[in-house]
Amino acid sequence: MTTEAVSTTLRPALARPSLLARLKLEHVVMGGAIVALIVLVVLPLLWLLFGSVKGEQGLSFDHFSEVLSGRLYINALKNSLILGAWTALFSLVIGLVLAWAVSRTDVPAKPLIQLTATLSYLSPPFLTAIALTYLFSPNAGLINVLMRDVAGLPWLTFNVFSMPGLVLVTVMHTFPFVYLLASSALLSVDASYEEAAQILGASKLRTALSITAPLVAPAILSGTLLAFVNALALFGSQAIIGLPARIFTLPTRIYALFDYPPEYGLASALSLVLVLITVVALYLQRAFLARRSYVTLAGKGSRPQLMQLGPFRWVMLGLVIVIFIVSIGAPYATLIAVSFSKSWGLEFWKGLTLANYKFILFDYNVTQRAILNSLMLAFAAASIAVILGAVIGWIDLRTRIPGRKLLDYAALIPLGLPGIVVAVALIQFWLAMPIALYGTLAILLLAYVGRYIPLGVRAANSSLRQIDPSLEESAQILGASWATTMREITLPLIRPGLFAGWLLVFVPVIQELSASILLFSSSSITLAVAVYNLYETGYIEPVAALAMVNMAIIGAAIWLANRLGGGRIASRGEPAPVSA
Amino acid sequence: MAGITIRGLSKSFGARDTSFAAVADLDLDIKDNSFVTLLGPSGCGKTTTLRLIAGYIVPDSGTIEVDGRALSSPAAVVSPEARGMGMVFQNYAVWPHKTVFENVVFGLKLRRVPAAAAKKQVEETLALVNLAGLEGRYPNELSGGQQQRVALARSLVVEPSILLLDEPLSNLDAKLRERMRTELKDLQRRTGITFVYVTHDQAEALALSDHVAVMSGGRLQQYGTPFEVYAHPANRMVADFMGLVNLVPGKVREVANGGGKVELAGDLALDVRALDGLAPGDKVDVAIRPENIRLDAMAGTGARAKITNHVFLGNISEYYVTLASGQALRVQTHPLQHFKVGDEVAVEIDATQCSVFRHTSGDATAS
Repeated sequence: MTTEAVSTTLRPALARPSLLARLKLEHVVMGGAIVALIVLVVLPLLWLLFGSVKGEQGLSFDHFSEVLSGRLYINALKNSLILGAWTALFSLVIGLVLAWAVSRTDVPAKPLIQLTATLSYLSPPFLTAIALTYLFSPNAGLINVLMRDVAGLPWLTFNVFSMPGLVLVTVMHTFPFVYLLASSALLSVDASYEEAAQILGASKLRTALSITAPLVAPAILSGTLLAFVNALALFGSQAIIGLPARIFTLPTRIYALFDYPPEYGLASALSLVLVLITVVALYLQRAFLARRSYVTLAGKGSRPQLMQLGPFRWVMLGLVIVIFIVSIGAPYATLIAVSFSKSWGLEFWKGLTLANYKFILFDYNVTQRAILNSLMLAFAAASIAVILGAVIGWIDLRTRIPGRKLLDYAALIPLGLPGIVVAVALIQFWLAMPIALYGTLAILLLAYVGRYIPLGVRAANSSLRQIDPSLEESAQILGASWATTMREITLPLIRPGLFAGWLLVFVPVIQELSASILLFSSSSITLAVAVYNLYETGYIEPVAALAMVNMAIIGAAIWLANRLGGGRIASRGEPAPVSA
Repeated sequence: MAGITIRGLSKSFGARDTSFAAVADLDLDIKDNSFVTLLGPSGCGKTTTLRLIAGYIVPDSGTIEVDGRALSSPAAVVSPEARGMGMVFQNYAVWPHKTVFENVVFGLKLRRVPAAAAKKQVEETLALVNLAGLEGRYPNELSGGQQQRVALARSLVVEPSILLLDEPLSNLDAKLRERMRTELKDLQRRTGITFVYVTHDQAEALALSDHVAVMSGGRLQQYGTPFEVYAHPANRMVADFMGLVNLVPGKVREVANGGGKVELAGDLALDVRALDGLAPGDKVDVAIRPENIRLDAMAGTGARAKITNHVFLGNISEYYVTLASGQALRVQTHPLQHFKVGDEVAVEIDATQCSVFRHTSGDATAS
């Protein structure tokens, strides 16, 4: 406590009592945040590491050697990488084309493009996956039946239970990462950079290749890597599409290792392989993004003139509409249709009914509990993540406590942890503790707060950076204590930013599946898990109804978010690598 | 080299019902091998004019010709890359991902200049702008002045016949701005390139230009040599914009041979040279530059005035005086001439350097 000693001697003796009180409160709050971060993130991660090298006697690398040589695991790794690579490639193509169209051409319906990207980003991939099985499952999928039996065009059928199907479902969720980063980069390139090349005699193509492309490449690559990382981590779509096709990926293989008897060591080792890939990709992403600095260098330059596409703009519009239909229109129209059908099939419209909703909402005893659990968990997790984030951000930016940078990094670690890895780590840590948390709502809460604390820290950090420290100092010089300064000055000023952060946590938590799937029990079941379980059990029509209830709740949350937060969810610059 | 002929040029921005004319009916002849400045307050249309010349904007009406070749008209615009001009942007637009050498050599590569010759040309041009030895640097390792010169070298190396400059010195500090001013002028003389230079700084315009085009509200107000626009402003706006001026209300007393007598606020009568289109009894504003007023401690021939304020500026002294009528005047004198606030002095005005404009409503105080 050297800081305490120094500052005490610098102050007149008169102020000592209040000073002591101030230091106490500050230290209790900060200490609490540090302890919380250690319990939430650091210790479970250590247990994960420990679990992966714990052998029969002492340390061993048996788990790693098995994970790196066993056919099952190598296959899962290979499938994950194939899925990630194809998803990244298609996300790049779709995201870049849409970003270019929005920022540089006179394509009509730009709001539709923005809406498509936003909805695709927000809609839970496991729901899209379920919707596609209704259309493209090999035997009963509506479109497959239509093509094979009605139109007589069997070669136009598509089996969704395949790698292409998995890539399709995943790309629908990940292309917005490229789109958002690329369009903001393209819009922020000062027009004069391009005009300077033009007046020297460079053609449009030459200008695009030698000036614009190098300037926006870091942002585009960064978006592509985010798409890759997310593709790897999405448990729901990989389970729903991949498992029937016997395509195991790292998350689904880790999940399978928890079938009785659970193989903790192997699961930990496999989790660390997944973490390693994610961390490398995120490291590259940060490095690329850091080079983006020169895009924003430009001063008060003018916007680039929009390219006149001529008749080609209608082709672009057609492409946009196709993307909207495939990623949003068709999946949700299907879910709605199925949810009102007595029996899903070619003539589903002959037996429309509300029975599925009645069953889901009143007869199926899981639903109400799941809704309540999810809402409570999302509310609590968002609040805790934001409060912790505010304290950690404050420590990082406003104090000189040694190790504060370390604290900041620790709070960012979960960005590199796919949901299922968080679950594997938490299970092992809390099984080793004397408190019985496994199967309770508490462990789900810990998982959610741990996973999404980076969003809380980031929201607090960016708000605090916009507040000059002199605003706090001028309260202090007038005699305000730390608590008063916080209450009167700091918190009111960062409240809008914190609120936006709260919503950014709330929305993904309410659709979280990757970690929940390993942590839930029948009493702590959440909405996303309930949908997944019901789907697994094979209730075709009620699943759609439950999915629609799920969507209604997510939609209401997002609507509320946009109303209260001024559209921040839809319009933030850099998307976070967060998946359901 | 090349001269530019602009005829009836107009350009409006915005939707049809809310549009405003950025440039309206502009006629301008820019002579080959000259340094012409487009001068005016912000929003006067000078940058739009420059961007019209460069071909970034399509005019609503009018034409732009270079050496008799039509480049811009509402029907057809030769694109910027085919005009063979150079342009220096206000923010320099030095490409941040290319080194100094790569920035400068870009235009030569487009012209398929062999590598060895290109390298030599780049080095020569960099030496011309005093940047020799910085070829390998990236723009973020350069100062603002150096970036500005990279932008200049990049435009000069391709030997354009016309160089367009959009407030290139506005982001530099005062000292550097002064030095770059001299260098630019010097460069223009040596290369013989036609410079079209946009600025809002009248001192810069006077120092650099062969001809100044003063613009306001999208319209050309006056086009002439720096001396002409300063000493014989065509209207109140030009008089007011070009340096300091006292605009004093008065009345024409008599007209003879184009000149005549003007009575100033009841205190003074001036024998002025030109009273075009004015008749005895007309209300006028007389533009008097502060340096054309002399103060004398002795009871001289001039009107009496009282010193109300004094500002010492080093190379000159400024006095604020009030005539018996209450009319205030701003006066610049030699710094060694001393008066105290409250002193009574005689005021003498060099009538040959005054301009007379028909009175329009609005204030007519010293500015």
